[in-house]
Amino acid sequence: MGVTCVCQVPVAEGKSVQQTVDQLHKKLEQLGGVKQGSFFVDCETYHTTGNASGQPSKLLYVMHNSETPLSCLALYEGGPYLTADANFDVLMVKLKSHFQNAKGHKVESRGARYRYCDFLVKLGTVTMSSSARGISVEVEYCACVVPGDCWNLMKEFMQSFLGSNAPEIPSVFTSKPEGLFAPADCMDTMSQYLELFSKVRKQQVLPGSSVR
Amino acid sequence: MSGENTFSQHCSWNSVFLCFDLFFIVRMFVFQRLQPVNRSRMSGSPAVRVSIESSCERQVQEVSLDGVETYVPPLSMSQNLAKLAQRIDFGQGSDSDEEDLNGESRESEWSKQNPDEEGPVKFQPCLWPWDSVRNNLRSALTEMCVLHDVLSIVKEKKYMALDPVSQDPTVAKAPQVFQLISKKKSLATAAQVLLKGAEKLSKSVAESQEQRRQRDFNAELLHLRSQWKLRKVGDKILGDLSYRSAGSLFTHHGTFEVIKNTDIDLDKKIPDDYCPLNVQIPSDLEGSAYIKVSIQKQAPDIGDLGTVNLFRRQPKARPGAQAWHSKLEAAQNVLLCKEIFAQLSREAVQIKSHIPHIVVKNQIISQPFPGLQLSISLCHSSVEKKNQRTSPDKTKPDDHLYVLEHNLHQLIREFHKQTLSSSVMPHPASVPFGPKRLRLAGPMAYDKAEISSLQPSDGLLEKIIKQAKHIFLRSRTARTIDCLASRIEDPQIQAHWSNINDVYESSVKVLITSQGYEQICKSIQLQLNIGVEQIRVVHRDGRVITLSHQEQELQDFLLSQMSQHQVHAVQQLAKVMGWHVLSFSNHVGLGAIESIGNASAITVASPNGEYAISVRNGPESGCKVLVQFPRCQAKDLPKSDVLQDGKWSHLRGPYKEVHWSRMEGRNFVYKMELLMAALTPCP
Repeated sequence: MGVTCVCQVPVAEGKSVQQTVDQLHKKLEQLGGVKQGSFFVDCETYHTTGNASGQPSKLLYVMHNSETPLSCLALYEGGPYLTADANFDVLMVKLKSHFQNAKGHKVESRGARYRYCDFLVKLGTVTMSSSARGISVEVEYCACVVPGDCWNLMKEFMQSFLGSNAPEIPSVFTSKPEGLFAPADCMDTMSQYLELFSKVRKQQVLPGSSVR
Repeated sequence: MSGENTFSQHCSWNSVFLCFDLFFIVRMFVFQRLQPVNRSRMSGSPAVRVSIESSCERQVQEVSLDGVETYVPPLSMSQNLAKLAQRIDFGQGSDSDEEDLNGESRESEWSKQNPDEEGPVKFQPCLWPWDSVRNNLRSALTEMCVLHDVLSIVKEKKYMALDPVSQDPTVAKAPQVFQLISKKKSLATAAQVLLKGAEKLSKSVAESQEQRRQRDFNAELLHLRSQWKLRKVGDKILGDLSYRSAGSLFTHHGTFEVIKNTDIDLDKKIPDDYCPLNVQIPSDLEGSAYIKVSIQKQAPDIGDLGTVNLFRRQPKARPGAQAWHSKLEAAQNVLLCKEIFAQLSREAVQIKSHIPHIVVKNQIISQPFPGLQLSISLCHSSVEKKNQRTSPDKTKPDDHLYVLEHNLHQLIREFHKQTLSSSVMPHPASVPFGPKRLRLAGPMAYDKAEISSLQPSDGLLEKIIKQAKHIFLRSRTARTIDCLASRIEDPQIQAHWSNINDVYESSVKVLITSQGYEQICKSIQLQLNIGVEQIRVVHRDGRVITLSHQEQELQDFLLSQMSQHQVHAVQQLAKVMGWHVLSFSNHVGLGAIESIGNASAITVASPNGEYAISVRNGPESGCKVLVQFPRCQAKDLPKSDVLQDGKWSHLRGPYKEVHWSRMEGRNFVYKMELLMAALTPCP
């Protein structure tokens, strides 16, 4: 588990999501990346129901990542976080009276996984209720766990195939009390994905997008 | 006298009544004694006879209802005397003997004072202060006198003889001493009898215990139970030999039966090794067994397959261990060997490999490397067969790989442990069964690599084949290095094997040096990491070369390294000698092509630049040393028309080859040092 950066790549002008993804695949393969299977990250949303007081109910997100196949992660936006084993899904069904699954809000990102030396790149198509909404790129530098030590290297690498779309340093790293030099873990990755997914979800309300 | 003492103990002197009785008797005797004197004194008148008797009145024993009194029958004289005499304490008055002679005067004195006694005491009770003292003294004197008389009477024996008196049963105090003594005596005899009995008992107990230790069935059974699992089924006692409780999944029931050994003839002498408890083990677990692992070079004839039957000597039973114990241990060992072999053959059939593993009868054959054969066989001998078989097998060379045999046992036990530890309690109710670390994989968010490391990896056969490969590769590497070291004297090869190895990896450090120049020629140091399939060579400068399992590769590599070493040595020597290195190349592109590696070359110039030595060394072609002379020394060089000036004669001229084999010196570097020294001008 190294330092991971997740970002969204805009769809190129006049091209579909799939075409943009293919273009990126080609670029990575030209760089020397080797395809190594596939990956997926999904996220389900739960409403709290048993809220008697008039406080605005917080949303609970339950996520899965194919990198950690036996785990199940539950997050509130901005914390706290919870890591559990796969039985957590069953538990959520039992807790129906308190948490209700928002069926239409399931977001997931699926795609190919590329390895380039110490870098692991995952190019995914973000889909929501079976329509492609965007492209996610996850870059992991496996040789280091401290973001501050390797951020510049990662940035340079991302620029090599994303060009001007390369992201700034993710806020999850900078917002930690220890700063950039606290070791990164899987939660940092998942909260970045959560951020990305909520961004994608907001795009849905835009009138231009086609909702089926 | 003893009788007197007894009396003295029990009669009390202080009883006044008793005293008067005594006085009465004594006076009577005194009177009788004095009578003749009186008689002679009163010769004129007849003597007055005074008779003293007890009163006629008899004691009334009881008065019946009609008023008739029953009397106590009067005592006879002797009875009366005896009764009175019983009460006398003779012992207390014994000190009055001394006044034997003064007895008469005392008597008279007492009789004189006697009348005075009555008057003043009666009528003037408190006449003077010493009155009571005087009275006491007087009464004491009286008693003393009486006592003296009594004693003298007794002593004289003229008047009175003392006879033993019949004991009064009602008093019954006197015989206590006798009772005590007799009791003591009888108690002592009783104690003696008891002691004798106890001695006999303890003897017999010790004897029977010794017998029991060896011969008691129940004790043996208890002993057996402390070491083996037993259970009772019907009227049989069955035991469990299997490793099932230790995590084994082998299907053999492994049951033995405990039998009471009662067919021994009690009349005959019992043999020393007789044991009342016997065990009956299943017939297929009898005898001894072991797993034999060996590596052979060539494939054996097909007729040899499945007939491996080597028997080891039966290990001697430990002294003190019971026969059944060694029997059970042997049976358990057979069971374990069978389990190992069953597991291995199951895996051998299941695993797909390039060259399929062969399972024939009691042998599994696999080919770890081409031309090499790993055979794992189960050797099981029953006791009867053993004696016939051992002799021809002794001649066979012992090609056991004991390490692998041991490791097989260790692996199966590890396997057992795994099956046991997979269900460690306590276990959360919400989680499926499995190893604890796998259970934690979810909450700890393990990634794929970590999870795959938790999964059970290779089977028994794969592991043992890997180990065999490693062992073979290691021994072959050692042999290769040793062969080279013994074949080639210059340069020298040193191999330092590390003591601590993994089962799949070991390492050796190879140093190539020249004798006598170890300090300056340290350029070639190789670390050989011997793995399962290949050997990784790490250079001193960090280069890594991977060699396959082929023996030739390592040999060629080492040869090329040795040839390079010579050139490196020249370079180091030049530094020390003050020569200048003109050129150096590890891999020369010119000249004859070597079949192994490349030739290397160096050219060094003497400190003043007049001479130059050029060395080319190839692993196959050997070394070639050339010396370049200045032009002026080359006599056969034709005079050039162009170089007429004298200064051009200092230019270096043609090369001449040195007859290296005819050079003096024990090795290459020494020869080179001599050559350099010869070409360096004296200052």
